[in-house]
Amino acid sequence: MEGYWQLLPELIVMGVAIAALFGELLPGKDRGTALLGAAASTAAAVVLLFWGTAEPLFGGMVVADETARFIRIAVALLTAVWLLWLSGRNMDGERRREAVALALFSSAGGMVLAMSADLIVLYMALELSTMPAYVLMGYKRKDIDGLEGALKYFLLSMLTSLVMLYGLSFIYGLSGTTAYSGISLAETGPLGIAAAALVMVGLFAKMSAAPFHYWAPDAYAGASAASVAFVSTVPKISGMAAVVRLVAVIAPGVSSFGILLGAGAVLSMVLGNLAALPQSDLRRLMAYSGVAHTGYLLLALTSGTQIGYGAVLFYVVAYAAPSMAIMLISAEEGPSLTDLAGLAARRPAIAWAMVVWLLSLIGIPPFAGFFGKLYLFGAAIEGGLVWQTVLAIVMSVVSAGYYFRVMREIFFGDVPESPMQVERSVSASTALALCVLATVAVGIGASPLMNALSFSFP
Amino acid sequence: MSLLTTIIFVPLVGAIVTAMLPKARTDLPKKVALGFGLVDLALAVVLLVRFDVGAVGMQFTERLNWIPEAGIQYFLGVDGISVPLLALSTLLTVLAILASWKIEKRTVLYFTMIQLLAVGMNGVFVALDFVLFYVFWELVLVPMYFLIAVWGGPRREYASIKFFLYTLFGSVFMLIGILALYLHPSGGTFDMIELAARGGSLPTNFQWWIFGAFFLGFAVKVPIFPFHTWLPDAHVEAPTAGSVLLAGIMLKMGTYGFVRVSLPMLPDAAASAFWTWTIGVLAAISIVYGAAVAFAQTDLKKLVAYSSVSHMGFVMLGIASGTVAGINGAVVVMVAHGIITGLMFLLVGMVYERTHTRKIADVSGLSSGVPVAGGLLAFAAIASLGLPGLAGFPGEFLTLLGAWQSDLAPGIVIVSALGVLFAAAYMLWMVQRVVLGEASPIVAKITDLNTREIVIVLPLVALTLGIGLYWSSLLRYVDPAVKAMLTGMGAI
Repeated sequence: MEGYWQLLPELIVMGVAIAALFGELLPGKDRGTALLGAAASTAAAVVLLFWGTAEPLFGGMVVADETARFIRIAVALLTAVWLLWLSGRNMDGERRREAVALALFSSAGGMVLAMSADLIVLYMALELSTMPAYVLMGYKRKDIDGLEGALKYFLLSMLTSLVMLYGLSFIYGLSGTTAYSGISLAETGPLGIAAAALVMVGLFAKMSAAPFHYWAPDAYAGASAASVAFVSTVPKISGMAAVVRLVAVIAPGVSSFGILLGAGAVLSMVLGNLAALPQSDLRRLMAYSGVAHTGYLLLALTSGTQIGYGAVLFYVVAYAAPSMAIMLISAEEGPSLTDLAGLAARRPAIAWAMVVWLLSLIGIPPFAGFFGKLYLFGAAIEGGLVWQTVLAIVMSVVSAGYYFRVMREIFFGDVPESPMQVERSVSASTALALCVLATVAVGIGASPLMNALSFSFP
Repeated sequence: MSLLTTIIFVPLVGAIVTAMLPKARTDLPKKVALGFGLVDLALAVVLLVRFDVGAVGMQFTERLNWIPEAGIQYFLGVDGISVPLLALSTLLTVLAILASWKIEKRTVLYFTMIQLLAVGMNGVFVALDFVLFYVFWELVLVPMYFLIAVWGGPRREYASIKFFLYTLFGSVFMLIGILALYLHPSGGTFDMIELAARGGSLPTNFQWWIFGAFFLGFAVKVPIFPFHTWLPDAHVEAPTAGSVLLAGIMLKMGTYGFVRVSLPMLPDAAASAFWTWTIGVLAAISIVYGAAVAFAQTDLKKLVAYSSVSHMGFVMLGIASGTVAGINGAVVVMVAHGIITGLMFLLVGMVYERTHTRKIADVSGLSSGVPVAGGLLAFAAIASLGLPGLAGFPGEFLTLLGAWQSDLAPGIVIVSALGVLFAAAYMLWMVQRVVLGEASPIVAKITDLNTREIVIVLPLVALTLGIGLYWSSLLRYVDPAVKAMLTGMGAI
């Protein structure tokens, strides 16, 4: 029984998720439900902050180490920020309480995913964190485009999940156990490579890495921007944590694994950045830029070092906060780039917050994205991936091209005759302010985070 | 509070205070910015006075652990090369604020950006940790982008984004160099002093490549031919204060990078025939090409912009020489060019404010219409062409001398020396067309400089004369630091 207490944060989140399904009966209705969800997520993070870590639980199926703690806190806090924002806004006119429940379910799944050290737990947690995401993406029930995007996402994601499951079954067959501690693909020959490749297909698709990224732009462009804000960030953090753990287990034995990851990295960086350049819908633009950022992450993953793994987890958090915030602004102002025109005059504080987030995504110091890229690229060079790193760095200059297009709209775009007036909302503004704070503090105050991820430069 | 930290962050406090001022009071931001700027300038003067000119090594050092897991420190210090540049940066910031007195569009934002720019510029010259250096290096891009993009000329959007992308492209290669040095077993630190000490132990082949990465980063900033195409666009579109700071300080960040990073940290590559020749030849081309293009300009501001390309070529020539005289000369040109070009851009800006044209043909005959402005412009032009007794002379003389003493082919030096002649030609021709002659209809209608404007340019005029007549006052700071650096490189 002792072990269950370590899952208290997940239990809090899960409990409130179930309560949120009955939001009609809660005080404050939808708004109260969202605030309650935010409070529960924050409480989960606070518990984690003070609770610390434990020995592996349930016979090693779940590990509650420092890395897991960091990722669980990040997932919980980002969910809290999203729910706080939601409490002041709505989901394109749809009622909110199901969105609150879905986000909390997904968040609980993500927190477990960060701790999984067993193939079964991995698969279950992965499904728990993505299943609510399908519904969130199709949240606008009457919108045909949204449903099409959601269906595409659902079908492709299920297909790749099954491919991954197929690969996992091979891994189980080859090593005779589902526990990470017992898995080794060393000296398994072609079958090991095939198993690793099948697993990677699944994970690439979930992470929207090229060449399995095609669902992302369509799904994002069909969905409500508020849904995209959640789905493109929170599950990505926990997913990346799972990828890191899994790769650390199966990569050492398979010689061609690095080539697979490296090819995915290069393809994602180039395709994502170049495809983002001409986009005029902010959701599509962020979808492609998400592919590019996954490419950078895979690059450090390819290095196969402790620094690389730590850098990946650091960067995914540094990426998630600003990109969630940008999608939230898109949800407030409208999905098209031109909807942002004149934002600087309408809402100057938001405009400057956008500048901070965009600069962070480009990798301009002193924001989090810069330090994230510093560690990523440092790890990649350390791992001997010199030309790939040069390519990554050149590609991040290309990314400045499209991020600046967004900035250009904000400051110099042609203001429409009657621009949309966004209502003031204290909770939404607070949520966005927290995103700015995270974007600044994660970079400058990187030291404790690097400690938690137990990575340091030589 | 330690002096260097205070000098860096006084403008940051100023920027924050300015940003919080009420929008309705459009007259307040400039006064606040000027106040903080003057405090910063005063602190820089204190630094100049308290600086021990004879001592070798870094002074006023401050060192704190910032991100120990990644070996990143908050490490500051100055030597004789950085002190004059830091002082110049604080001075030009004050003058840029004064020159912007009549800005009426979004003043809060404008003066916030100027002060943020000052944080980055000051920081670059005192940072001794590579990551910190890079942070300040990139910090200047953002405010300068906005200065050009919001308050610039008609093609400001194009010019600002071109400026940003070009310089970002250069600096990311610098980032690769920084990481590679850190990750190499013989490097292994972000401490720039330590890296300079360990520089010689790096394999030559490795140095050669890393020199190339840094070269891209710095050469775009300087800018050396053929990386200069962003400069004329940025200058022409930028508001006066932006041009002054861009030409006066930001270009020097590139050459400062060569002196602080490329030479001491990668001594074998810096001494290699390939890189000395590359830099030497490109420097000579920049000198002649910049001068030749300046000749052809009909736009007064573009002429000054291209003359900058030419003058920065002299700095690069001195750096390529690798001799005491050459590098002393390079640093002296950096300071002198900052002063003279700052003066020229200020005067061109003042004329433009009155005439709303920069066409040379339209603003002819300044001396008969507005004698003070005309006289000062002639003075700046003559200083720029390198007349002995004014600040433009000693640096270019020393760089040519150093280049002659070095292994660079005499042909490079002779071609570069011809550049001095060209500079005399295009500057005097400009003086003839703009300053002398009958006042054009536009010039006849304008008023001469007012007291505020004369106060702005007076310090630069005084410094031009002071450094020109008594350049050992500047070399007193620079020379020991340069000698120490070259000794560390094993070059002398």
